[in-house]
Amino acid sequence: MMHKMTWRAALMVGLPSVFLLAFFVAPNAFLLTTSLLKSESQVITNQVTLENFSYLLSRPLYQRAIIRSFWIGAVVGVLVVVLSYPLAFYLARTTSRWKGLLIALSLTPLLASVVVRTYGWWVLLNRDGAINDLVHAIAPGIGVLAMLPSSAAIVIGLTHSLLPYGVLTILSALNGINPHLEKASMSLGATRWRTFWNVTLPLSMPGVVGGFLLAFSLSISAYATPAILGGPATSTMATQIYDFLTSLDDWSLGSAMGAILIFSSMALLVVGVVLGARRQAV
Amino acid sequence: MRRVTPWTGLCAVVALVYAFIFIPIIITASVSFNSINQSKFPPVGFSLRWWNEALTDRWLEPLALSIELAAAAAVVATLLGLPMALVLVRTKFTGRAALEGLVLGPVVLPALVTGIALLQMLQLIGLGSLFGFPALLIGHTIICLPFTVRTIAISLRSMPRRAEDAAANLGASPFRVFLLVTLPLIKSGLFAGGVFAFIQSFTDYSVSLFLAAAGIKPISVTILGFLEFGFTPTLAAVAVITLAVPLMLILVVQRFFRIGDFIYGAQSRG
Repeated sequence: MMHKMTWRAALMVGLPSVFLLAFFVAPNAFLLTTSLLKSESQVITNQVTLENFSYLLSRPLYQRAIIRSFWIGAVVGVLVVVLSYPLAFYLARTTSRWKGLLIALSLTPLLASVVVRTYGWWVLLNRDGAINDLVHAIAPGIGVLAMLPSSAAIVIGLTHSLLPYGVLTILSALNGINPHLEKASMSLGATRWRTFWNVTLPLSMPGVVGGFLLAFSLSISAYATPAILGGPATSTMATQIYDFLTSLDDWSLGSAMGAILIFSSMALLVVGVVLGARRQAV
Repeated sequence: MRRVTPWTGLCAVVALVYAFIFIPIIITASVSFNSINQSKFPPVGFSLRWWNEALTDRWLEPLALSIELAAAAAVVATLLGLPMALVLVRTKFTGRAALEGLVLGPVVLPALVTGIALLQMLQLIGLGSLFGFPALLIGHTIICLPFTVRTIAISLRSMPRRAEDAAANLGASPFRVFLLVTLPLIKSGLFAGGVFAFIQSFTDYSVSLFLAAAGIKPISVTILGFLEFGFTPTLAAVAVITLAVPLMLILVVQRFFRIGDFIYGAQSRG
């Protein structure tokens, strides 16, 4: 059925919509346009071209940054799901009186700024850090372990900061499962394990897929964690964008890299819709 | 001896995951008490001098700016989000999906790109003078809006519509119904949305990184800028303070409103 928006509704959504169009849609449209414009010695011209993209996709440095971002995103996505599933399962089933507090505690990384989240890892992993001190005390022969900067350190840092998103999506999927289905499975003679594998896990898959895609898409656009725990040798799309805009002052390439990030996020969203990932609509 | 049940095994795994969540935070907190100017764990000696340094204007000013910015963004995002949520929940019309997409856009597209895009556009249309607080407020409101709309929408869906009908039947005008019936019934949602928006803004760096101006930098950007001098114990103390701000806000608001009920709906994005 077609409904026309009433005047009153239009008035109500008018201001927020205009705000979003002016300061969210228009800037992103500008950015996509800039990514298609040729720039000559850092000055953007009116000439439409795909050169910016072909440049980014053909240079090994940028190819590697793009591939590294996706690779890190995929590993972080898997780790987030693997670590947050048992936690979410526990939180969904526990009868502890501290349940509320336990849920809140599992979300702490959300409240912490990125520096709180990465600082501790830096203290542990750097050349003079706690782990190297420990190694030196136990087995001085090993020498100094170079754990920073590295992609592995970025993966650890991102997994830590994005874990709450996995817990939230999986927990809400688990909470949405009809408890009678599990009871039915058990009463028909299935063991707890069988019930989990054949009933609970498949029914919670939308949460798992949702958590994975969310961690993936937030990873590929994260700037601070790769900037802090990584280095020039482990640049990602986000750190490259920052370099394009600050030290290189190249808006065309920066916008093109930003456009690649936008397309990637959209693609992940489509994948999520196709796979039926858990996603809260307004 | 008792057999190890799957549940005990699960509890052990869960304990390890909690350790993973808290170890870096505990380390950061303890590092701030080093007596030397090195971020050593376990800390060498004990000293409060880095805390003294963290509590000087150099850090308190950006901290105050971040709190003001987050509060302003939360208020604006709530005011803009309320009519949006009302229309999205209560009315059917063509183009509703497009409007939903528009509202969700800022959580789907990377915040970093939104920040750059805003920077570029403001420069292009000659509004460079907005950099600093106005531009930051615009950018933060954008990334906060999806959270307020979603949280308010949840509370609108779960409130009893009959209360409104009753008030209307008794002759209250639509505006009075809204003011005296609807608003009080969804106030938890309003406050929860505001709190989520505040936290979203307070912990953001992606948008702020590009919209801040000299001397007007939120705490996250100030810390990032300082990192080129390395991780000092002072930064650890500052980091702990930034964790305390949203924590205290939640504890205070939670006393009056059940914001916990909205967590699944509002924070699970994507």
